[in-house]
Parts: sequence; C-alpha cells; structure tokens
Amino acid sequence: MRLMRGVYEGPGSHGILRVAASMTNVHAVLRALPHEGYFHALYGAWSRGGEAPPVTLSPVWGDKLKQENSMAPGDLSRDLSQVVRRHPGTESVILARSEAALLSGEEIPTAALPESPETGLTPGLVACDWESPIVREVEAADLALEDLVRAHAKGRERSPDPTVNIFGPPIFSPNAAAEYDEAERLLDLIGVRINARVPLDAGVRDLARLPRAWANLVLYRETCESATMYLQDEFGTQRVTPPMIGSAGTGAALRAVGELCRLDPQRVQRVIWGELSHTSRLPWYARVATPETFEGHRVAIFGDFTYTLGLGYALAREVGLEVAPCGTYLTHLERDFLFHAHTFTEDAFVTDDPDEVADRLEQSRPVLIIGTHLERETAETLNIPFLPLCPPVVTHSFVQRPLMGYAGSSVLADALEGVLRRTDEKPEVLATSLPWSDEALDELEEIPAFLRGRARRMAEERARKLDATEVTAEILAEARH
Amino acid sequence: MTILNESGVADTLSPLHALSGLAEKLPGAVIAVIGTRAEAFLAQSLDAAIPDRSPAIRRSPRVVFVVLDPAEPPEGGRIASRLIAEAAGISGARMMLLVAGRSAELLGVDAEFEARLVARRLDIPAAAVSLDPSGDSPGSLVTDLEDRALATLVNLCPTGTSENLELTAPTPKRSGLLGNFLGRGREETHAGRGKAVVLLGSSGDELAEELERAGVEVAGSVPGPDAATLPAIGEGTVIALTDPHLTDTSRAAEERGATVVRTLTPIGVDGTARFIQDVSAAVGMTANELGRAREAWEEMEHLRNRVRGKRIFFAGDTGYEIPLARFLADAGAVVLEVGAPRLDRRGLASEIQAMGADVDIVQYPDWQGQIHRADETRPDVVITSPGLYAPLVAHGHVCRCARDFLAAGPHGYEGARRILEMLVRTFERAEMLDSVNL
Repeated sequence: MRLMRGVYEGPGSHGILRVAASMTNVHAVLRALPHEGYFHALYGAWSRGGEAPPVTLSPVWGDKLKQENSMAPGDLSRDLSQVVRRHPGTESVILARSEAALLSGEEIPTAALPESPETGLTPGLVACDWESPIVREVEAADLALEDLVRAHAKGRERSPDPTVNIFGPPIFSPNAAAEYDEAERLLDLIGVRINARVPLDAGVRDLARLPRAWANLVLYRETCESATMYLQDEFGTQRVTPPMIGSAGTGAALRAVGELCRLDPQRVQRVIWGELSHTSRLPWYARVATPETFEGHRVAIFGDFTYTLGLGYALAREVGLEVAPCGTYLTHLERDFLFHAHTFTEDAFVTDDPDEVADRLEQSRPVLIIGTHLERETAETLNIPFLPLCPPVVTHSFVQRPLMGYAGSSVLADALEGVLRRTDEKPEVLATSLPWSDEALDELEEIPAFLRGRARRMAEERARKLDATEVTAEILAEARH
Repeated sequence: MTILNESGVADTLSPLHALSGLAEKLPGAVIAVIGTRAEAFLAQSLDAAIPDRSPAIRRSPRVVFVVLDPAEPPEGGRIASRLIAEAAGISGARMMLLVAGRSAELLGVDAEFEARLVARRLDIPAAAVSLDPSGDSPGSLVTDLEDRALATLVNLCPTGTSENLELTAPTPKRSGLLGNFLGRGREETHAGRGKAVVLLGSSGDELAEELERAGVEVAGSVPGPDAATLPAIGEGTVIALTDPHLTDTSRAAEERGATVVRTLTPIGVDGTARFIQDVSAAVGMTANELGRAREAWEEMEHLRNRVRGKRIFFAGDTGYEIPLARFLADAGAVVLEVGAPRLDRRGLASEIQAMGADVDIVQYPDWQGQIHRADETRPDVVITSPGLYAPLVAHGHVCRCARDFLAAGPHGYEGARRILEMLVRTFERAEMLDSVNL
C-alpha cells in the first residue's frame, strides 16, 4: 500500500487497449465494471481524430444486477461474439480485463468466436491470460504486442531486397506517427524499404509478413522488446536497438541497419553526412553557441526508457550539458536503465512516485526540467523552464513533429535554444535564500512535494516583506493563506 | 412519451472524472481514493484530458490516492493510520472522504472501518464513499460520484434539534388549490408551518435566493459553503433536491426520516417555478410563481426565437438530460431522443410525466446505435458525452458536451437563460464556421 498523488503508468488493461487501438482490424474488448468506461473519451481528446476507437466495454454487473439485465451486454463470451458480428472487418479480437475484473477472478471463456459475416473467416482471440493486477501499462503493452505478433506472424521467405520492420511507439505517445515517418524517411535514403510499421496503423496482414524483413528497427523498446525478441528467436530477425534520438544515436542505428541489410557502408556514411549537413541542426547548434551557454548548466530528465536515455545521452554528450538527475518510472526496467544512464550521468534513479521525483528536482535545482506532464507543475512552482518531451504526456498537438532521427535532433535544438537563451537573460533569482527555522523546515516537509517550491518561494517573499531575518513556521503558515 | 430499453452499453465516462471538481466543491475536505492503480490513473488522466472548467486545474493537494498492492493487501487500520499521518500536512483538513470501489473491497479493505478510525483519531467527520452502483437503478452516470459523496455528507449531517424531531402530522395535499392548479399528481407533502428547507445538490446560491424571495427559509445546503458546515437533517426536515441524478442522496435523506419533496428539477423556467411552488407547499406556504415564470419567459423571448424549431438529440451521460430536454421542448425545440444511461424512474417520476408526448427516452442506449440514429435524423445539435463528441463532430453534427451545461450553472431562472444562451452561441458558431468558404 502506498499513498501517492499521481501515477505515471496506467493499469495493464490500458496498455493492451493502447496497442489494440493503434492497429487496424484489431478490436479490443474491455472487461470492466460498468463505471470503468473511459477509453472513448481519452481517445477522442488525445488522438485528435474523429474515429471511435475499436474498443467495446463488456460490463461486469455483479451479482446484484445480473438477473435484471439478462439480455443486456455483460456476458463475456456473448459480448466477444457480438463484437465479431458488429464489426465485420475485425481480424483479431483482444481481451483486456480491468483490475477489478481480474480481482473478481472470472474465467476467460474458451468458446470459439463466430465467423465474420464479411470475410467468412474466424478472427483469433488473443486472451492475454498473463494479465494480473501487478502487470502495469507498459509491460502489458509489450506483452500484448508480442501475443499479437505470435498469433499472426507466419514463417515466410525473406524479401529479395533488404527490408526492415519499424517497431515504434503505440498511440498516446507524443508524436508517434511523426517518429515512424522520420525513421522511414531515413531508411529510404540509405536504400532500405519498409516491410511493416508496427503497431501504429498496422493490420493483421502487416503482422503476418513481419518475418520477411531483414532486420527490426526498435524505436520504442518499452512496448516492442518482447515482440522483437520473439521474432529474433523464432525467425532469426536481428534487432537494431540504439535509441534514435540525437545525431549520434540516429547514426548508430542507421549504420547497424546498413550492416544487417548488407549495404555498402560508404553509401550509408554518405547519407549520414548529407543529413548532418542539411537536416540535423543539433551538432551545428552545439558548435555555434558559446561554451558559456552550456557551462555549469544542469538539466534534469525524467520519464520513460527510450526518450529519457536518448535525450540524456544527446544532451550530455552532443551538447555538453550536465544531466542530473536522470530517472525513469519504469521500475521493471531498472537494471537496464541504470546501466545505460550511468554512461552519461552520476545521478540516475528509478522511482514511480511523482512526489519523490518532485523532491529530487527541488533539491537539484536544474536550469531545465525535461519530463512528463506530472513534472510540469513542479517545474512551475520552482520557476524552472520545462519541456514535456517524455511520455506520458497529456497535451497532444495537432501537428506532430518528430523527436527521433535527424529531423528530431533539430526540433530538440530549437527547444533547447528557446530555454537556454531565456535563462541567460534571467539570472538566478532564487540565489539569496533566507535561513529557515527548524520548525518551519519541518512544516515545509509536510507540504506535498509538488507544491513545496511555491510554498518556499511565497514564504521567503513574505519574510522579506516583513523584514524578518529567518523564515519561521508562522510566516510559512501566513504565506500559505 | 415512450421509454425504450435498448439494453446497450452507453458511452459513459467514469465517475472518477469528477474527483477534482468534487475537491473544489468541498473546500476543507480531504478526498482519499482507495483502490488499485486503475482508480488513480483514471482520476488523473481524465481530469487532464477532459478538463471540467479551466483548462489547467491544478492538482489539488487535498486529493490523495491510496494505491493498494494486490499481492499484499493491507491489514485493517493501516490505511487509516497512513491517512491520519498525511492529514497532518494538509492545512485546513476539516473532513475526510474515503472513496473506495470494488477492487478495494475485493482486496479486503473495509473503507467504513478505516473511515471510523480516521474520524475517531482526528476528531473530524470522515466517511466512506462507494464507487459502485447501489443497485436501485443500475447503470452508470458520470455524475454518480457526486451523488454518492452527497449521500455520504447527508449521513454526516447532525440529526437535528429536538424541535425538528417533533413529528408533525402528515397532511396529504393531493387536491387543494395548488394541487389543482398544477394539475399532475405529486407525492404527498408533509406540512409543517414555516419549516426550513435543506437544499441538496449543486445549485449554488441563486436558487436559495429565489426560495427566500418566495418566503421559504433555507436552513442550509449540502454541499455547503465549506465542508464542516452541515445543516441538520433528520425526522421532519424538508429536503429539496436540486439535481436529477441524486438517487442515493435522496434515499440517504429519506432513511433519516426527512421528507424529500418530489417535484421537478429546478432546471428551466417551468421546472424552477414548479420546484419553488412545491417546496413552498411542503413547508406549508403558498407561492405563486406564475408571474415570475411569465416574466422569465418574456425576458428570454429573443433567445427562444433562436431555439424554436431546432432539433435536439440528447446522448449525454450526466443524468441532466431529461430535465434539459423538458425545458428545451417547452422553449420550442424539437427533442428527438433522450438517452438515459441510468434512469431512476422513482426519483424522476415528475420529470417523466412532464415530458412532452412525442419524446422518446432511450434507457441503456447503445452508443453505436446513438451515432447511427443521429446520422439518420440529422439533428441541429447533439448534446453528448465526451467519448462520442469527436466521432459525432466527424460525422458532421454540431455538438455540445453535456457537462458544459452543468459547468454553466443550469439551475433557476437565470440558469434557464444561460442554457439557452449556450445553445444559441453553439448555433451561431456553427453558422459562422459553415459560412467560411474553405
């Protein structure tokens, strides 16, 4: 049991729904309590499109209400069959169960699904029987994608010309579509065709032809690890895993693809040079800006795995900023994360409690915070510039711009310049802080971490106004009201 | 008027969406959500994705999530002690509500027990709020959490002074001047001359002022100005419900022996007039709102002209759809269909009777069916749930979110004007956008 003021990851069912709703002709059935419906509203607000998501709620009515609604939805096997009849294009049905449904200990129905009235084929049911309340959103998304790939990938000959599968982020990841596009553009430049893009907008047919590819380019390891590992074990398709963030990471990934596709290394290198001189502005920005722009400046990064590590490496090595602290909320990837993060920072950590992150941010006082939407408020109360570049985010723009690839590195350069130029103009205002009485410090500790920065600032302002030499508990209390 | 049961799954947003709004409405109350990751995630994401009012509602320091570990459920009392420790850091905590759903129950958490511990140790009112449907009227509304929280607050109210406890003989007022005048049968009203009324619901001050103007004394309201101020509710208290979705709240008040006035919701001109008249009658006064109602209609004649003949489809999930439809039909609009994801027939009896003859209420609507019917009937505006909003707009419909009306404050005569203004604004904007040569 933990007392929290926010969570980064949703429940496992949300991860499954994200993968299912990313794809075409895959329909998800959410088995949940009648009042646990939310996906349509979230999808409408975040996907920015006008389509309803391929998600159907199968309500668990509980003993009290079951009899009364005998013909209404609520019977899981009937609801699953109903989905096939009502959505004739469905080629695969995936079952997600909410935590309440899981805890109530219901069995997964074993009856086969009916034939689709349109295609005459029987869609497969991916039951996600590994689901349990301890599997969280990201891990569940990873496992669900693996199950879908297992169910549909067929052993086939490799394509005659080199092709690659792009395994990228699912929906609700910021700029997901733009990341796929940028990767596709770069692969096209080095002369590699795309076999399939998974999971965003992929259909069951795309899954079926996955084994044809010569390599799997893993853009978003969090949700594509298991699926690509399966393809490697089963079909021998090698993986390319460096995060394609920043110029160095993108170059490494392209060279690895080139090697696996047996391309002429010089050709790949020529493309990389061309991109470095025309598209990628991050190395250029790092060279033209004065060393003082970056000197002694610390950036805090917190978020998922790929974006956090990719941005951390790019900022530490390619730009020369100090990255500290740098953390992830993906506790199940702790070892891997710390291993990679220690290549560019001394201060790597793993936690899934927003309050602890707020605490660390407050202590380290960086010039810039890069994080998820939960860090925005902390950054605001501390008066530190903030970039919401790491998933999960809650603001989704109409225009997507990549953060990966060479084009993404220029987007990053723009964002950095906007922030670092601002701090040049505005020197540290918090430098002269007043002493605090022990009692006041104890009081301050009690305030939720994400509000502490504001409380501290208000109390010090008030103390200055009162010409007090020290911030006392009374001044703190007054400032808060 | 016909009630059709479509036996479908309506698009209803999880009631956890209301959490931050609830914290705002109950200043001084700490709201602890006890559950698994799902509850915390839903409350937080829905609030951020579909903001209730201002786009940047701050996370309230008075909302905390108790995230249970399914592998290791806490022993009884552990949650309470953790919350007690936390409450020390929250300035001005004067009440605590423990919101717990099915997951917490399945993990063996007894929220009522934990609440009693909190109340005893902190010496503030504390109570459990259930997230699950009560069973009386199945189905779910996005406003359910507000109903359950109000029901809990009613149970925290003092039972009242000895004066209130004096039982006055119930006098059925089925006929009589007022009854005849109003026509339709109301439930009997227990008369006690000059008694005070307690308002339950989110109506705000305007309605209380209207009642005071009619000579009715308003003893208090739930939610009140702050969490600690609760009016006495007990034997003989006259309760006026200002919202249509308050099934549990109404039952909680009745269980305490209070008299709940069964009348129209004070939404729209005629609804407000009937409400004031019936509430007055319940406390033994006679109010005639005819003049005021006529005046209100005349004042908004220009708005009514813009709404007259417009065809409206209700696919919302708030429970306010039925009174809104009743008012808009009175104002001259054509109501095509009213979806009711949860229909409390007993509580809404007066509303259902007051509905025009040619209106269909669809109980447990199927959301795909709703989109299909909206496409067929081509309404001028669809009042919808957040989940259907984008798909309906994509199908070329003019839409308005049902919760927008609640945010605008739909109660009373002024509220009626705000409802019409909001619709007119919607039409004007749609016309403006349609006139652009793209």
